[in-house]
Amino acid sequence: MSREIVEEESPSLTRVVSPENRSLGALRSVRWRVSLSILPPSPSVDDLRRETADSRRRYAGLRRRLLVDPHVPKDGGSNSPDLVMDNPLSQNPDSTWGRFFRNAELEKMVDKDLSRLYPEHGSYFQALGCQGMLRRILLLWCLRHPECGYRQGMHEVLAPLLYVLHVDVERLSEVRKIHKDHFIDKFDGLSFEENDVAYNFDFKKFLDSMEDEVGSQGNSKKVRSLDELDPEIQTIKLLTDAYGVEGELGVVLSEKFMEHDAYCMFEALMSGARGSVAMADFFAPFPAAESYSGLPPVIEASTALYHLLSIVDSSLHSHLVELGVEPQYFALRWLRVLFGREFSLNDLLVVWDEILTADNSKLDKVSGNEEISGFKILDSHRGALIVAMAVSMILYVRSSLLATENATTCLQRLLNFPENINLKKLIAKAKSLQVLALDSKISSSLSTFDVAYSRSKSAVSGRNLSSGPISPNTPLSVVADSYWEEKWRVLHKAEEPRQVDSLDKLAPSGKRRWSEKVRLVLSRTESDPSAARAGKYKKGHRSSVRRSLLEDLSQQLGLEEDTEAGDCFDVSNIEDRHSVEGQVEGQDDTSIASICTAEERCDSGSGASVSEESSSIFSDPASSGSITNDHENDTEKSSVASNLSSDGNDDRHQSDLEDSPLPVSSPPEDALLSYSEENESSGKMVSASKESRHLSGRFQWLLKFGWNNVSQEASDKGVSNETAKSANRDSKNNAADSSTAAGASRPTSQRDVVDQNVMGSLKNLGQSMLEHIQVIESVFQQDRVQVGSLDNLSKNNIVGKGQVTAMTALKELRKISNLLSET
Amino acid sequence: MLVPGKIQHIICTGNLCIKEVQDYLKTLCPDLHITRGEYDEETRYPETKTLTIGQFKLGLCHGHQVIPWGDLDSLAMLQRQLDVDILVTGHTHQFTAYKHEGGVVINPGSATGAYSSITYDVNPSFVLMDIDGLRVVVYVYELIDGEVKVDKIDFKKTTTATHSAH
Repeated sequence: MSREIVEEESPSLTRVVSPENRSLGALRSVRWRVSLSILPPSPSVDDLRRETADSRRRYAGLRRRLLVDPHVPKDGGSNSPDLVMDNPLSQNPDSTWGRFFRNAELEKMVDKDLSRLYPEHGSYFQALGCQGMLRRILLLWCLRHPECGYRQGMHEVLAPLLYVLHVDVERLSEVRKIHKDHFIDKFDGLSFEENDVAYNFDFKKFLDSMEDEVGSQGNSKKVRSLDELDPEIQTIKLLTDAYGVEGELGVVLSEKFMEHDAYCMFEALMSGARGSVAMADFFAPFPAAESYSGLPPVIEASTALYHLLSIVDSSLHSHLVELGVEPQYFALRWLRVLFGREFSLNDLLVVWDEILTADNSKLDKVSGNEEISGFKILDSHRGALIVAMAVSMILYVRSSLLATENATTCLQRLLNFPENINLKKLIAKAKSLQVLALDSKISSSLSTFDVAYSRSKSAVSGRNLSSGPISPNTPLSVVADSYWEEKWRVLHKAEEPRQVDSLDKLAPSGKRRWSEKVRLVLSRTESDPSAARAGKYKKGHRSSVRRSLLEDLSQQLGLEEDTEAGDCFDVSNIEDRHSVEGQVEGQDDTSIASICTAEERCDSGSGASVSEESSSIFSDPASSGSITNDHENDTEKSSVASNLSSDGNDDRHQSDLEDSPLPVSSPPEDALLSYSEENESSGKMVSASKESRHLSGRFQWLLKFGWNNVSQEASDKGVSNETAKSANRDSKNNAADSSTAAGASRPTSQRDVVDQNVMGSLKNLGQSMLEHIQVIESVFQQDRVQVGSLDNLSKNNIVGKGQVTAMTALKELRKISNLLSET
Repeated sequence: MLVPGKIQHIICTGNLCIKEVQDYLKTLCPDLHITRGEYDEETRYPETKTLTIGQFKLGLCHGHQVIPWGDLDSLAMLQRQLDVDILVTGHTHQFTAYKHEGGVVINPGSATGAYSSITYDVNPSFVLMDIDGLRVVVYVYELIDGEVKVDKIDFKKTTTATHSAH
């Protein structure tokens, strides 16, 4: 180790100024202290000296004041304390004894954690001296910040700081040993032998003596460092720089003052040093004062994490969300200890290097058009880097996360981060994501209530980064989830009588409920609005879309609908939609709706342009439902039209899903969604808008023919296979193929007459589902062959896995369809 | 003032008389040491007891066995006999504390202020010992005229002090 130092410094033998700078910078603890703004960045020795002396004196004073030992007679013990107040049994809160006992309790808490600190590096961390130092530092910090108190994890934040100091001091002493002869320099009568304290220093003894000296410390500290300094200046011209550096370093690095320095670093890290990210916030259980979200900061940060993840990798994000893996389950530990428990100590130091060099000053918010600001953690480079680091860690274990369908295993994977990691890669990725995070912060919007909700909000997608400037924010809808649920129920109740009145021959309500459920499935699988739409987005409207979809389906299933009328309506509406959609660029328009199949969602290959088409087109049935429910649908239609620009996150669907009161449909939906996630990820980004028209044209067919009738599909299979093949030939997008195939098959299958019996229709529904499943499977087979042709090479593995999950999804669909056919 | 949790051991010289008092003391601290006084109904208390707390050896005895009652030399004999650093006795219902031959003899007085065989004029008092390493600080709490007065005495154990017991 010392050799490195020598090498670093020997080239600068002649120059006096810069070696200090460089060699100082080589020491991690100094670097960190500079980034934490404890030490001034300027290399001037005087400044350094002043700063360090100040901070050390501050700490010593603090210690004297707060670490109360009533046993010790006070300095100048003539002021006998009032014993009535100041006896051990006194319940007077001011008494020293009272304070002593309170400290003792804190200490007990701290000790509980300390005893478990870094057992793998126990030789250092479990040593008495080190533990004593850690305990004292934590105690004093907590006493100074009674509002925070001591929380588990703070010791983990402190430990690497102390370790870094220790490492540097050790290095220093080694250098000294090596250049011992240079150190023996009598200056001012002080032989350096005295100061050259061997490292195996008995801390306990030292500290006892420290306590005694505490009163006289102030000046002597300075003097000591001066002594060390002057010989340095004197000898720096004569001797090697190692020595010179040492002398100067005495100011910055000294064993005696390790505790003091560590305290300063800890304090700076926790309080954020007037920056944006304060570690102490992460330990606070209550929302910060100026938090817009009303969430505790760590929860907020976790949502920021998921938010960034959703931008970067929405399929993984939705997968996690689906499984119910809330970010704070693992992010709590990650953030509170700044990844201290995820990496080995040496790796952690590298990670912290990066994080600490990132600037912590608050960034000015660019956008002024929102009263609700973004995530607080993203307010600084450092915060963004932390979030980015977390996301890159999640991405690192992406494949294992996607492979599992179990929330527990996901969490296990995330909480037991793999041992041998390519740290450089991880950090590089984090840096790239940091930029993204900072950008997205600009247009991020934060929901004001529960986490699921905020997850569903998202900014403009990152997927379409290449496709132009990030669009401005969308105003939030601040309506609670429950509000919409209620509305839905109200509406649902309203629907029932309407449906009874109307000319449908609906079967008993049981059946209707089934149809409702099916519709629910439909609508859920459907709306996968993409992010890149520039425009407004309101969650509420989406649920209104859903509701209208549901209404629509119930009518469709039960009614003997006049398809022609519906068609015309559809067409006109679709045209409208198209005009809206035409604005969007680079859409991947593979949106084809076929009932109850996952294809609907999957085809929005890119995250950005995720099936706006589908959403828009799907709103058509909503509008078509207006045949019988005119007034309602009108309003909804307009709202739908205005809200097609939903940011494309499946999260929202997830949250919808979560809100859903229907458990039956949810497992298949999950499967559907996961399947569609996979397909999304495998899809391509770009497609011409022309194709969008083309496909939506096909969709029109679907609407025309597909919705009303659930008829016999004896010919369907053959037809669908044919169409699948033909569609394959046409479309560029493989995923699109499957969807178009399935979609196209429907029109052909449903030229038949409507079966009035709802029972029968359900049965047919089941059958058609089966058929579509088969279609998808067949397409999948083809897909598998064509996987290699995908440009996105990095996703190949995922595609394979996606197919696996898709297969499972299909199996589940099969089950449902069997169920349906049985009823 | 006497709240549970602050006191780790209770040393009682005797004459609790009834079990209820013992139970009350137990609520303050589970570690209770009692020796038998002449009016105790509980017959199973020992006459004398020794225990070690920290670096100190403590001896406990009611004191009515030591005649003359409250006489320092006699108590010192007992102390040597028990080979303890701190001897705690009672019976006189008067607080006294002596440093004697490298050890300490403490009489905490009567906790209730009950009349003693000798005198009516008794102030309730008790003693709190804070044992810390080689040092013990004795806090005396006395109820005088309705007010709690506290006094403090410091004792340091000399490590080389050994009593030749004979």
